[in-house]
Amino acid sequence: MLTFLIKDLLLFWRDRKEVVTVIILPLVIVVVLSISMSGIFEENQSENYDLSLSVVVEDDQSEAIEEFKASVSQSEQIANAMKQNVIAGVEKAPPVESLMQFLNSPELEDWITVNTMSESEAAESVEKGDHHAMLVIPEGYTSQLLSNIYLDQGTEPALKFSAEETAVEVDMVHDVIQGFLDQMNLQYAVSTSGGEVDMNQVQLPEGGTETLADDQSFSLNIDQYFTLSMGVLFVLFMASTVASRTGVEKREHTFNRITLTNTPALHFLFGKTCATFILAWLQILLIFIGSHLILGTFSDRSFTFWIGMVFVSSVFCFAVAGMSSIMTSISLRLKNPEAADGIFMSIIMLFGTIGGSFIPIYVLPDWLQQIGEFTPNGLTLAVLIEWFQFEDLSTLWMPSIALIGFTLILIFVSIILHPKKGEIS
Amino acid sequence: MIETIQLSKRFKEKTVVEGVDLYLDKGESVGLLGPNGAGKSTTISIISSLLKPTTGDVKLDGESVIKNPGDIRKVLGVVPQEIALYQELTAYENLKFFGRIYRVPKSQLESRIQTTLELVGLKDRQKDLIKTFSGGMKRRINIASALLHHPKILILDEPTVGIDPQSRNYILEMIRKLNEQEGTTVLYTSHYMEEVEQLCDRVYIMDHGKVIASGSQSELLSILSNEDTMKVQLNQMSNELVKAILEIDVVRHVEETGDSIKIIAKKSSNIISNLVKLADQQNIKIMNFQMENPSLEDVFLHLTGRTLRD
Repeated sequence: MLTFLIKDLLLFWRDRKEVVTVIILPLVIVVVLSISMSGIFEENQSENYDLSLSVVVEDDQSEAIEEFKASVSQSEQIANAMKQNVIAGVEKAPPVESLMQFLNSPELEDWITVNTMSESEAAESVEKGDHHAMLVIPEGYTSQLLSNIYLDQGTEPALKFSAEETAVEVDMVHDVIQGFLDQMNLQYAVSTSGGEVDMNQVQLPEGGTETLADDQSFSLNIDQYFTLSMGVLFVLFMASTVASRTGVEKREHTFNRITLTNTPALHFLFGKTCATFILAWLQILLIFIGSHLILGTFSDRSFTFWIGMVFVSSVFCFAVAGMSSIMTSISLRLKNPEAADGIFMSIIMLFGTIGGSFIPIYVLPDWLQQIGEFTPNGLTLAVLIEWFQFEDLSTLWMPSIALIGFTLILIFVSIILHPKKGEIS
Repeated sequence: MIETIQLSKRFKEKTVVEGVDLYLDKGESVGLLGPNGAGKSTTISIISSLLKPTTGDVKLDGESVIKNPGDIRKVLGVVPQEIALYQELTAYENLKFFGRIYRVPKSQLESRIQTTLELVGLKDRQKDLIKTFSGGMKRRINIASALLHHPKILILDEPTVGIDPQSRNYILEMIRKLNEQEGTTVLYTSHYMEEVEQLCDRVYIMDHGKVIASGSQSELLSILSNEDTMKVQLNQMSNELVKAILEIDVVRHVEETGDSIKIIAKKSSNIISNLVKLADQQNIKIMNFQMENPSLEDVFLHLTGRTLRD
C-alpha cells in the first residue's frame, strides 16, 4: 500500500497546476475576499438593524384580567394560599402590556421600530414594504392565555405573525417575539409554584440569526470566517481531485496494468484514501498558517487553540479521505470516468453551498442550515467557528465522533463497491 | 501452455470475438494478424484476464483462467497498445512502481530495473519524465514495464503503432531476443504482416472476430499455391485498363500501387498474353513485368478480398 501512497503523492506533487490550485489559490481567495468585503462586513457590523413591526392590538387586557381574577377566586384548582400570588403576578406583568414594553425596551429600540395600528393599516403597510412584518394580538388573547396557564382551560392562544417576504430581518423579529413569549410563559408557570413573576428576567433569545449584531457573542471577522470556510471548502475539493485520478488511470490503462500485477485490490483504494488524508491535512494547515502569516488571522491565540484547530482539521481530513475512498470505488465501477468526475464535482459544490463555504450559513433558511450541518464541511465549519469563539473542549467530541462514524461508513461502503482481487469485467 | 476454447465476446448487440480457438506452446512465438477491429485486442484482453468472455474459456496448463485469473497474471507480461505509464513520473519511477507491485524482491529490484532499461536502450534517460519522451521511447518503456518480473509469457498488442522505423526495428529485435534467448513465449498482435512474418513461428489470421486461417507461415502461404501474384509497371495508369483486367475470368484481384498494378490470378498460361493485348488496345506500354512470391498480406487478401489496412 505504501507503494501506491508514494505514487499518488508523487503524481500530485509533479502536477504543479494542481499544487497551485489547492495551496495558493485558497490563500489568494481568502486575501482577496477579505480585502474586498471587509468594508461591507464592517458596515454591517456597525449597522443597527432597523426592523419595523406593525402591531395590532385587538385584545382588551383590562377586562380579561378582571374576569381572570374572578375565575381565580372561584377556582378549586388553585390553592387558596396561592390565589393572591397568582393574581398579583398577573397584575404586575399583564401579558400584552409586558410584550409591548419588551418590544419598546431600550435593548430593542435600536433595531426594532414598533408602530401600533389597525389591522387593515398594518396589512397595507406590510404589503407596501413600509414594515417588515405585522403582529396581531387577537381578541381574547389575554383571557385565553391566562385560563390556559393557570386554570388549565382551553388551548394556548396564538399571536398572528405575518410578513410579505421571507428575510433574515423577519426571522429575527419572529425569533425575538417567540423567545419572549416562551420566557413569559415560564415566568407565569413559576408563579403557580409560589415564585414571583419577573419580566426583567426575560432576555433576548440566543440563536443563530442575531449573532450579527455588535452586542452579541459572534466575534469572527471577515478574514477569519473566509479562512475557515475556504480552508474547509478547498480541502473538500481534495476528495474529488485525488479520486478523479482514478479516471485518468483507467483511461490511460495504468489501472489495467496494476490489475495484472495481482496486487491486493484494496491497496489501490487505501493508497488513494491515505494520500487524500495526507494532502488534505497539509493543505488545510498551510491555508490556516498562510492566512495567519498574511492577515494575522489567528493572532494572540493560545497553544490550546492551535491544538484544537489541528484536531478538528485532522478529523475533517479523515472524513474527506473517506469521501475520496468512496469516489474512487464509484469511479472504478462507472464506465465513463468523465461522468464520474462531473458527479463528484457537483456533490462537492452542493456540499460547499449548503455547508456555508460559499456564503455565510446565517443567510440561508433555517432548514437549509440544519441540512448543512449534516455535511462534513458544514459540521466542521460550525465546530471550527465554535472552537474559535469559545475554545470549549466539550464542543469538539460529538461532532468529531459523528465525522469519524461518517468516515468509517464511507470506507466500509467503498470496500464493498471496490472491484475485488481477480474480479474481471 | 495456453489455449482458448471457443472464445466469444459480445458487447450489447455486437459480437466482437466469435468462437476463437488458439493455443500457444512453451517457447513459441505466435502472431495474431488482422486488420483494425478484427477482435485481436479483445481476444488478448480475455486471455490476459482483463475481460471476461461471454462464452468459452482460457486455459493455462489445463486450468481455467476465467475462474482463477491470479494464476495467469503471475506468469504473464502484457504490453498494451496504449502507453500504460504515468506520464508525470520518470522512466525509473515507473519501473520501480511496477516492479514493486509485481513483488520483485527488493534486493533484485534495482538490478532488474537497470537491466531492463539497458535492454530497451534507455538507461541514460531513466531520470526523465515519460511525458518528455518520443513515441518510440514511450513504447520501449511500455514494454520494459511488462518485463521486470521476468514473465514466462509475453503478450504484445500492436507494440509498434505510430513509431519511427528505427524504434520499430529496435523493438522487434528485442522481442526476438527475448523469445530466442530467454525462451519467453510470445503472443504478438499486429496489422503489419511483415512484423509477424519476421517474428512468429505460427500465425492466426483474424477478421470480423473470427480466426479465418492459422498455421505456420509456409502452411498459410500454401493456400495461395494455385495463384500467381504479379506486378506490372505501366508507362501510364488507366482505370479502363484496370477494369478490363478485372474482367479476365482468372483474375481474382487487381490493386493499383503507384505506377504499377498488382494482379492476383489463378495459375493460367494465357494471363500474360491477355494483359499485353489489353494494354495494346489502350495504347499503354508495359514497362516491367515481375512475378512475386506471395506474402501473408496476399493470404489475407485471398481470404477476405480486402487488404490488412482496409
